[in-house]
Amino acid sequence: MKFAIYLAILALGALWALPLYVLVIGALKPLSEVLTTPVFMPSLNVDLATLSKVAGELAPVLLNTTIVVIPTALGATLIGALGAYALWRATTKLKDVLLILVAVSTYLPYQSAVVPLARFMTQIGLFDTLYGIALGLLIFYIPFATLMMLIFITALPRTVVEAAEVDGAGEFAIFTRTVLPLLGPAFASTATYLTINGWNNFFIPLVLSRTYNNHITLKVFSYVGQSGNLYNEMFSAALIASLPPLLLFIALGRYFIRGLLVLGSGGK
Amino acid sequence: MRISLIFFSIPLFLTTAFLYVFIAWNLYYSFTNYSVLSPDYQFVGLATYSQLFSDPLFQTALVKTLLWISVLVALGNLVGLLTASLIYNINNARARNILTAYFIYPLSISLVASGIIWRWLLDADRGIGWFLGNPLQGENAFWSIALVSVWVYSGLATLFYLAMFYNVDKSQLESAQIDGAGRLYTMLRVVIPQSKQSLIISTIFFTLFSIQMFDLPYSILFINPNIMTLVMYTFMKFTAFYLAVASAAAVVILALSAVIVIPYSLFGLKKWIR
Repeated sequence: MKFAIYLAILALGALWALPLYVLVIGALKPLSEVLTTPVFMPSLNVDLATLSKVAGELAPVLLNTTIVVIPTALGATLIGALGAYALWRATTKLKDVLLILVAVSTYLPYQSAVVPLARFMTQIGLFDTLYGIALGLLIFYIPFATLMMLIFITALPRTVVEAAEVDGAGEFAIFTRTVLPLLGPAFASTATYLTINGWNNFFIPLVLSRTYNNHITLKVFSYVGQSGNLYNEMFSAALIASLPPLLLFIALGRYFIRGLLVLGSGGK
Repeated sequence: MRISLIFFSIPLFLTTAFLYVFIAWNLYYSFTNYSVLSPDYQFVGLATYSQLFSDPLFQTALVKTLLWISVLVALGNLVGLLTASLIYNINNARARNILTAYFIYPLSISLVASGIIWRWLLDADRGIGWFLGNPLQGENAFWSIALVSVWVYSGLATLFYLAMFYNVDKSQLESAQIDGAGRLYTMLRVVIPQSKQSLIISTIFFTLFSIQMFDLPYSILFINPNIMTLVMYTFMKFTAFYLAVASAAAVVILALSAVIVIPYSLFGLKKWIR
């Protein structure tokens, strides 16, 4: 029985390894073999020329993506934490209504907002700019981060704030000195989740851009059109674009996974 | 209730308000005839909707999206349950955690990157199409890409099922063991029946992912009637500047999602606010 379990895991696992394997060998394949050999056939010759050429083309876009995604993810998480704290502390019944509105808008597909989102960015002059993409992401990420942080905050015992309250501390002081230090893992989960999501987001940059240089996923996509049969170019682009989120996933995977669990916790 | 709390939630108020303004704005456009042909749009009532629902391509998109939901829900749950059951029966806790993360990794890379890899893995000349017949041609394309989406998303179900498996009472497992029950029997009779919640959550998420399906089919085959989804249809009309039609299609997407999202949010609320 044990043997059967390991064998089944190995077979399933191979299916999960295949795309990564193909991605790496494809990116390193010399041009002559790209045109003649199947994608899953490894090459004896390692060719770094394509990878470095594509890396050069991707470098400015990687920078653009970083300066949009990291501040957006961190900012949304912090603002979300503040909002979640306020909702947690509020005593009015109105907060239930707000919370339902936040939750509903968080889970509704953002793709359905394409027309107003693009019209809005055009009207305020941010269409096809990095600011526009950052703002577009923020609009969706702040309610999202609030909901995620709220689920974490609700798990804290109320007694942690009661002591600070008795001391006469203001809400901001309670938040920064008492609550925020306890929210380290929650902060890491939400920020990791949003960073990976923002880095991989394709739809928002796509509908808010005219060219392919605003976001890494757009740039990677542009190789599908222009490289024709040269899959080594596409794979190089896909590999470079996937490395930052993959490394982040390996380093902070448990936070990412906790974030996923929290998102699904509404049903439990 | 202190005033400062209201200040803390101002950004939240604003962004949430934005989202609802977008929904309302979208709804408003869907009742106009705003398009490249009539940039000075006017109110036309439900005319855009009747135009939308009589468009064969939209009908295709609606059918394909509903079909996508059933494929991803059925196979995603099946693969997720299978993987979770296998991982659960490995004795080493560290190995279990690593394997769980391993099956989730497709969720950490962009769908465009996954799309590019699978586009070539499925290629007729240099992928498995070489000996299987072209998996991306005609009707095959839908099934192939739907299977790729199962590969991308099933790790989420694995995670949800495992979370419920770990909640199973240890004493129940021990008594099953004392009764001489095998691993398979224990899984089928004791562990899996207690994971109904995971089935519900996975189904909710897979349904939402299917309704949103765009990046993956678009980066594999661009805009293609064989893999036309509702979001792809909306995007196509948006880029062609048929904004009223795009908005009406977006309203259909919203309505479809709301059926799942509103009960889930109301139900989740009870759990979130204690």
